Amino acid sequence: MSTITVLGLVLLGLMTWIGGKQGISSFLSLLFNFGVLFFAIVLIAFHFSPIIVALVTGIIVLALTIFMGGGDDLTSQTAFFASVIVLLVLIVMIIPVVNWAQIQGFGQENSEDLEGMSLLIGINLLKIAMVTAIISTLGAIAEAAMAISAGLVEIVTQRPKIEASQLYHDGLVIGRHIIGTTFNTLFFGFFGGFLALFIWFASVGYSFGEILNDKVFVSEILMILFSMIGVIITVPLTALVMKHEVTYRRKHDQPLSDL
Amino acid sequence: MQREKWVVHRWPTWVIIVIALIGLLGVIGVKFDYVLYHDPIVTISQVKNGKPVKQKDEFQNADTITNQQLVGTVRNGDYKGKQVRFENTFSLSGASDQRYHKGDDAFVMIRQKGEKVTIRETKRDVPLAFTAWLTIILLLATMMFSGLMAFTSVAINSILFYWAVRLNGDSNGGKVLLIFGLLTIVFAVVTLWIVMGISHQMLVTLLATLGGTFLSVLVALGVFALTKEKGMYYESMEYVTQLPKPLFLAETILGSLGAVMDESTDIVASLFTLKQEQPELSSKQVYRSGRQIGRTIMGPLINVLFFIFMAETIPMALLYLKNGNTWGYTFSMNMSLGMIQSLISGIGIVLAIPLASWFASFALRRRAQ
Repeated sequence: MSTITVLGLVLLGLMTWIGGKQGISSFLSLLFNFGVLFFAIVLIAFHFSPIIVALVTGIIVLALTIFMGGGDDLTSQTAFFASVIVLLVLIVMIIPVVNWAQIQGFGQENSEDLEGMSLLIGINLLKIAMVTAIISTLGAIAEAAMAISAGLVEIVTQRPKIEASQLYHDGLVIGRHIIGTTFNTLFFGFFGGFLALFIWFASVGYSFGEILNDKVFVSEILMILFSMIGVIITVPLTALVMKHEVTYRRKHDQPLSDL
Repeated sequence: MQREKWVVHRWPTWVIIVIALIGLLGVIGVKFDYVLYHDPIVTISQVKNGKPVKQKDEFQNADTITNQQLVGTVRNGDYKGKQVRFENTFSLSGASDQRYHKGDDAFVMIRQKGEKVTIRETKRDVPLAFTAWLTIILLLATMMFSGLMAFTSVAINSILFYWAVRLNGDSNGGKVLLIFGLLTIVFAVVTLWIVMGISHQMLVTLLATLGGTFLSVLVALGVFALTKEKGMYYESMEYVTQLPKPLFLAETILGSLGAVMDESTDIVASLFTLKQEQPELSSKQVYRSGRQIGRTIMGPLINVLFFIFMAETIPMALLYLKNGNTWGYTFSMNMSLGMIQSLISGIGIVLAIPLASWFASFALRRRAQ
């Protein structure tokens, strides 16, 4: 068996041990997400519009991650709506910034990997850089939206009479904690992923100015920043969606939670 | 879930606006920082595009190549103020070239007393500074003082990281695993110290974080030995200048640290609050609640790292597909290592749940006595 299969089985075993049914469902969502991602790449290879593919992929991935994450109805629904809004805001921001920074394709550091390959593939790689940036934020948005939404549902369950505006304020307070910890996840995640690049910079002796204008470095840092911005704006947006959702459900005498 | 009593330091709006304006001045300053660069920079003032020439490669990919005649003014160095002419070619795909527009700043190489000019690369520090500015302002506006702390933590860790990379260079990469393994411990201590201060709770979180991170690597090494690393293509790693396997492991440890820390922080903090509110809870009940909390966060957290590790592989995977490679080969050469990294960090994230719950229940039991 290949290493990936065995590691996957170990992870499945551990998730089942800790999470039971929910663990299996979380593992499946990871598997589906991989499928969706791979399918997206294939669609782009067949010349579908990259940005549209990224948007559809994004919505599917958010739905899979959030609805298979095993929260109750109010938590998942709020988190999903909020994260889709965040996704749209991010797309509107990512397109001009990536265009401005011109981080398409590959850097001079990749030249060895590119040897013998045809680079004239007829797909606009600037759009692919936008797709990459959009997709890399998805996990972080989904996680932040779910955490805030779950925290707020917990508050609503304990104090069913809470004012909707107070709920929004509480969301911001919970959000502060979540922003702090998610920043660490993103920061170390990206730095781990690009340790080799930084070692390259050091060994080849890049100057500070060269690094700050290097295509690969800039695209890497921009991806961290996009994800961080995504997480930051997720906080007020999720709190706002929750406020509306609770007000709406109260007005129409619908139950707040099916717990 | 989390209901900590955060001290809400509210800053008046004008403070944030003033900080934002000062930052914006900084971004504008970066636009005109030509004098700081040693390499000559040209601002492009005229662009004349040639006719796009159709190209077809051996895999029937249709692309176009366009020639540009450019005129620009040198902004710094010996030739400052001189008007220069040069050429550029760009393709539709733009894999390693780009189209220039009027007003763009670009680094050039000037030879033969300014007669021969070749364009090298576009100037990217302004969009970088702008996005960093936007992030910091949003951070300060939503989190006030805690935002400043989060930012401090990132700044200190970046300095430590820079220093570790230098150290690795000095030892020619021979001790990469040792250096970045130790760095992981230092990162964990510094970050948790900034977020929580030195306390009982911080120690418990630290133990769970390091336990989860390093246990996952041990599990991975076990699996590597068992499967003889079948299906792992270290030669597909990018930017490698030293022995790839220890580098890969160092990347994985560092990459999963944040997520494992995230998970442990959440569980331990919730359990400490829980025990405070209901002191009668037995340690078994505390352990069980910890697992309950952990199982709801683990799935989304694994997804966070999955998308970070996998998204980066998209451009190269596309290039492989368009160069007539099979999907299987494209996956193996581009995505398999990212997948393995995601799986190993997933294992760390899950292992941190029982560890954090157990350490917390143990610490809280002693406190109750």
